[in-house]
Amino acid sequence: MWNRKKTIIIAGCSRFGAGLAGELSEHGDDVIIIDKDNDAFRKLPPNFSGFQIVGNVTDPDLLEDAGIGNASVVVAATDDDNINCMLAQMARRIYDVGEVFARLNDTDKEHLIGGLNIKAIYPARLSIEKFKELSSIAF
Amino acid sequence: MRIAVAGGKTKADYLIRMLLSKGHELVVINDDREYCTYLCQTHRIPVIHGDPCKLYVMDEAGIDGFDIMIALKPSDADNLAICQTAKRIYHIRKTVAVVGNPKSVDIFKRLGVSTAISATYMIAGYIEQMSTVESLVNSLPLDQGNIVINELMINQNSPVAGRKLCDMELGEDAIICCIVRGSKIIVPKGQTGIQANDKLLVLSTPDSQNRVIGLIMGREQA
Repeated sequence: MWNRKKTIIIAGCSRFGAGLAGELSEHGDDVIIIDKDNDAFRKLPPNFSGFQIVGNVTDPDLLEDAGIGNASVVVAATDDDNINCMLAQMARRIYDVGEVFARLNDTDKEHLIGGLNIKAIYPARLSIEKFKELSSIAF
Repeated sequence: MRIAVAGGKTKADYLIRMLLSKGHELVVINDDREYCTYLCQTHRIPVIHGDPCKLYVMDEAGIDGFDIMIALKPSDADNLAICQTAKRIYHIRKTVAVVGNPKSVDIFKRLGVSTAISATYMIAGYIEQMSTVESLVNSLPLDQGNIVINELMINQNSPVAGRKLCDMELGEDAIICCIVRGSKIIVPKGQTGIQANDKLLVLSTPDSQNRVIGLIMGREQA
């Protein structure tokens, strides 16, 4: 099984972003993580071997410098749904990135990423699923 | 036209006044409660208090089928969301967003926003235009901007090279007060001719400045 090393850009060093960055980096992929706040990178695990960039994740200059042209995966993991939508759209429509993920708190934002093959992750929904799984209530 | 204005503070205020004075029908959505109260008291328009980025707030605004959505929030991403939602869910075909990053102007167009306006982008464009004639035109406002003095370098291509002052139609709001030729200073009279490599000092009002510069330099200034 030939597993090519992938270049992955993660926008937003939230707990989700940081955790994902750590696991992907351990898995052997090239990870570039971007956040507007330098302190956010403290969430990264000590053995993180990727790149950290401080800046605005919707700035095309910054994205191009970070290598979005070569990225096979972009994950929009900031705490702001609108920023995640904007970045995800840019990644698909302008930079043609193969796999684009967006974490969205508000399920109403679905229409903003429709039709672009952006994979949405809804923490609220996932939490409900997990609750159903763990609880004794028969749904 | 029926226009929705989302977000913004001072910009929104000026815009609302202007649009109302032109007779447009407005709905304003804003998440600042005090500002909404102020707007209600000042103009007689529907004001929705809430975050325009939220669908349930937009629903309340009743803007389906409106002509224009204007997004004035400070965040580019928020304005993109507002405009796209306006277009896709409320069938508003023309969307205008204010953006901070000049690079967002092109991005917004590609992502379906009709027009994105960046002050930085426009200023940069203006400066670029001005800088191509920088070496040929310098201007200085005097008397609190009521008069402008322009320093114009004449070359052989300029339409006034080789002409006399009395043949030029500068109009009532401008006068060539001085010609610098080499090391000589000439106070021109009607019969004085203008030569290539002269430097003209022209006094004009701000309103006639562009026309006069165009006349003397041979091209319209922005």
